[in-house]
Amino acid sequence: MAAPDEVQTPANDDYEPVEGLDQQTVQCVRACESEAAAKTASDYEHIVWAYGVIWSLFVIYGVFLWRRASRQSNEIEDLQRRLAGS
Amino acid sequence: MNKILPFAFLGAAGMIFPYSVQLIFLQTPIEQQMGTVQKIFYFHVPLAWIMMLLAVVCGVAAGIQLRRDSKRAEAISIAAAELVLVTGLGVLITGPIWGHATWGKPWTWDARQVSTGLLWLVFAAYVLVRHYGAAGSERLAAGLAIFGAIDVPVIYYAVKIWKTTHPSTDVAGSLPSSMWAALWPALIALLLTSLALLMIRVRQEMTDVALDEAWIGLEHDAASPNLAAATGDA
Repeated sequence: MAAPDEVQTPANDDYEPVEGLDQQTVQCVRACESEAAAKTASDYEHIVWAYGVIWSLFVIYGVFLWRRASRQSNEIEDLQRRLAGS
Repeated sequence: MNKILPFAFLGAAGMIFPYSVQLIFLQTPIEQQMGTVQKIFYFHVPLAWIMMLLAVVCGVAAGIQLRRDSKRAEAISIAAAELVLVTGLGVLITGPIWGHATWGKPWTWDARQVSTGLLWLVFAAYVLVRHYGAAGSERLAAGLAIFGAIDVPVIYYAVKIWKTTHPSTDVAGSLPSSMWAALWPALIALLLTSLALLMIRVRQEMTDVALDEAWIGLEHDAASPNLAAATGDA
């Protein structure tokens, strides 16, 4: 049995087909896979931005309503104090 | 009950949203022409429907406000207009994100994009007039809301009337059942969220009106003895 450092990888000319595929087909499949992976990654980036924008807008509006509710509570307390004083 | 209902809606939306996301990403097939990016559809389209629904609600409420001088209708109109701005901004941002990935261009100036942009600007004008307008400007604002609501059928039929990059309105009918199954929960989650925020905002507007009346009443009561003293002296 050969030691790991003695293992020789075949040069490109000595290509041996794996699972019955020729070199051209393997390279073509790899290129397609790479392109598909890049497209999917780009798609997910777009999706994350789109979903993030939608829910961020609702959260921002929710915060706006919450601040408004706090202002109204203060105003009601102020009014109650004025009514109690008069 | 009215106080609890919006929070119940928000809670329900909070539970439906993760279910909807797992349906979209794990159970729904990838659309063959556009690929994974088509999944933006499940929130972009329902958001556009909700935006149009709210614009109609705002226009109808503004009409009732003009005819009957109803404070509740006015409050509904204001709340719906603000939510048209929120949902409209969502549609106007997610659309170009999807367009950038699919068409290679975020904005193509097609009729549906332009009419949606116009709707957003009309409601932005409504909110600005309501916020900064002088006394009596609420009638002008109501007119703007009615004008905005008329833009809704223009948006809907834009793809039929003009040549656009957007797909035709028939595309919804041709969707496979698995895509509809993912679209409904997304629509319900967004609708419940929008309804909850609308109800909270209507309540706040009604409280503002009541507070204004209370302050005027208080000032009037405080001013009355002075006025009586002033008229007595005269």
